[in-house]
Amino acid sequence: MTRRTALILGALLAAIAFLPSGAFAQQLTPEQAARAKALSLKVKCMCGGCNDPAGACYHSGGTFSGPCDMALSEIKLVDEKVAKGESDDQILKDFVAQYGPTVLVDPPKKGFDLAAWVMPVLLPLIALVLVWEIARRWRHKHPLAAAAGSASQIPPEIIARVQCDIEKDEP
Amino acid sequence: MDILGSFALLLALIVAAYAFFAGIAGIITRRALLKKSALNAGMAVFFLVTIAVAVLEFFFFTNNYSLAYVAEHSNRALPAFYKFAALWAGQEGSLLWWSWLLSAYAFCVLFLNRKKHPELMPYVGVVIAGVQIFFLTLNNFVANAFNVLAAPAASGAMNVVALSDGRGLTPLLQYPEMVIHPPMLYLGYTGFTIPFAFALAALLGRYPGEKWIHITRRWTMIAWMFQTIGIILGAHWAYNMLGWGGYWEWDPVENASLLPWITATAFLHSVMMQEKRGMMKIWNVWLVFTTFMLCILGTLLTRSGAVNSVHAFAQSSIGGWFVSFLAIILVVCLLAYWKNKDYLRSDNQLDSMISRESSFLFNNLILLAACFAVLWGTLFPVISEWVQGTKVSVGAAFFDSVNVPIALFLLFLTGVGPLLAWRKTSTDALKRNFAWPAGIGLVAGAVAFTLGFRDFYALMCLMLGVFVVLTILLEFFRGARVIASRESTNMLTAVGSLTMRNTRRYGGYIVHLGMVMVFIGIAGQAFNKDVRAELKIGQSLRIGPYTILCQNFDQPGNDNYQSQRATLEVLRNGKSEMMLFPERRFFPASGETETIVANRSTPLWDLYVVYAGQSPQDGNPVIQAHLNPLVKWIWFGGIVVVIGTLLALLPNRRASIVLAPVREKAWDGTIVEAATHKVAAVSTRGAGDD
Repeated sequence: MTRRTALILGALLAAIAFLPSGAFAQQLTPEQAARAKALSLKVKCMCGGCNDPAGACYHSGGTFSGPCDMALSEIKLVDEKVAKGESDDQILKDFVAQYGPTVLVDPPKKGFDLAAWVMPVLLPLIALVLVWEIARRWRHKHPLAAAAGSASQIPPEIIARVQCDIEKDEP
Repeated sequence: MDILGSFALLLALIVAAYAFFAGIAGIITRRALLKKSALNAGMAVFFLVTIAVAVLEFFFFTNNYSLAYVAEHSNRALPAFYKFAALWAGQEGSLLWWSWLLSAYAFCVLFLNRKKHPELMPYVGVVIAGVQIFFLTLNNFVANAFNVLAAPAASGAMNVVALSDGRGLTPLLQYPEMVIHPPMLYLGYTGFTIPFAFALAALLGRYPGEKWIHITRRWTMIAWMFQTIGIILGAHWAYNMLGWGGYWEWDPVENASLLPWITATAFLHSVMMQEKRGMMKIWNVWLVFTTFMLCILGTLLTRSGAVNSVHAFAQSSIGGWFVSFLAIILVVCLLAYWKNKDYLRSDNQLDSMISRESSFLFNNLILLAACFAVLWGTLFPVISEWVQGTKVSVGAAFFDSVNVPIALFLLFLTGVGPLLAWRKTSTDALKRNFAWPAGIGLVAGAVAFTLGFRDFYALMCLMLGVFVVLTILLEFFRGARVIASRESTNMLTAVGSLTMRNTRRYGGYIVHLGMVMVFIGIAGQAFNKDVRAELKIGQSLRIGPYTILCQNFDQPGNDNYQSQRATLEVLRNGKSEMMLFPERRFFPASGETETIVANRSTPLWDLYVVYAGQSPQDGNPVIQAHLNPLVKWIWFGGIVVVIGTLLALLPNRRASIVLAPVREKAWDGTIVEAATHKVAAVSTRGAGDD
């Protein structure tokens, strides 16, 4: 080995030694990194000690307020799958296959779990229709009383009598 | 000494049972003496539970670790300040605390009304005693804080033993706000028992007139105010203690506190329909019932372990008791309603869809939609497990995506509702009242957009916030201008005078103003930034306009904890601006660690810095910095809400002059009505108004 070759090898080894940890992990393009970050926020840290997403695991109250080993391994897995070109759906499916549906931060928008998303919209809409219908009935309940609200000079017994007459006249 | 506590609790249960059964007997037999005796018994419960609480606190303060509960939640090194708070640190103590607050409320209600409403109060006393029986049963037989520690002696017999020191209070509770936050929240939860008692009593006793609804409204406002303080303090505690940079995580315990708050808010609005127009009586009664049931449901969810929560300090098998109690309440409410539904017959009549009445209808609809969304999201993991056999998670993204649009619509109604007239609002009035606020709101949105703000919801929140604030300020301005011209005073004095003449209406506006501030603060999180870096001494990180330079690490401590502390210098434009000292404290007694956030808070943003500890990978210190815009607005907004509520609770001040009718064409129906209220305030001291 020549002195020059030895110097080059030494420099390479030194460079490797000073590389930040994780530098040997799959290199991601900025778009892939953004995708991987977004995906890591869609899966929960499965350490059992927190309810945080893996990508935002803080472990409040733990010995270190940052991603635990479990969260780091999940983040690494996401990075690898993104680098391999797997789709978001496929990656999330793999996580569900490994940990069960509880690994997903939010319920999937299919099957029974779709109800989680639909109900908070559907029920208020039904309630809106009901409220509208109730309000409409209330509006037509006492047409004369309503008119009297502005005049307020007509004695109530007269309003009642006229109301009665109108109802008799209605088919 | 522990015998005294146990005995007082047992006696409290017996006396509460007497108050319940003697009250029923008094109502049935119409014997006044029996009714009075039952009400006196209801008041006596307070003194007995107070003895039990005092005994438990005595054990904490004298470091007597012969009680399992004291040994579990305190230690000698714990500061006296926290020894008081250790009372509610666990299941048994928190339930005892609940009973004490409930008995204190009961005492106040029964004592203040001892010579009033002779037909209503016996029913109220019975309902409150019924609730007390449940909680005192738990205190005595299910989660007794006076259980002693025992060990077998040489003879085999069990002897009472005392530990030399306790396990200590969980570090998460060793924070000044934790001495105030739980009592406030519990004052809210227990306080909702009182409106529930009045509503159920009025229904059962078919109490004539609307007096009971005024009493119910007032007690609901008190409980609502405490619940608001509790929720805001809880968020503030989470922000400053948990160290993740946020204040609301949609955790089941947080959701449980929000649910009754939402329905109580709906009630405080819809009750005006009943007071003003005799409408929505059934709805109002059920809102009060639902609020109370949601308090119990929330307690059930968070103490039974049915849903995962980070606040899991008080989980146990107590859930069955709460399920049974909830079922009993539901059955009693349904039966009471079924038997007396004709009593709640309303004079439902709506003159126009553009009116105050319809705005209340939609306000209630939106609030109930929000309540359902939160409840549904909280319960869905349980429902999913029942249906599919697998538990799914429901995270913050779900709650945000469902609740943010609902909240914005509610903000819109906050601006619109109060300016609509009762019965009917003309199109001209609409234009006159809303054109300027809406126009300026749109301009504010356009300016923000051109400045680069692109988040849709944050922009909507800004526009609606400006709109609501302007509508409120216009209301104050119009009313104050009339007073200023009549009384020849300046506008500031006139605003004060106006507010005090109709505390309910203008206190309500101040509450709305506070809510806008809270909304603006929440919208700020769309622009949060955070940076995480390993930082050795001499190294720095940048976030926003700040450079954070690491100066030192040291390890201060005391008997209670050992600390790891970072000394950070914050520079802006090359100039030193402040020093920050984020810490991590290790508590040997419990073996747990706590984060002490260093937060430089301004109305514009918070520079929030956490010392995350040493990286598990390479042992280097890690600093996490957040730049969170507008967070301070949330806390200020909370204070404004409380001030507004306190104002609304005050009786109206009698005006010194009678206002003349407000002049001519410039005033639409809304303003004419406002003037009418002012005249009414002159003649009826203390009469409520909206």
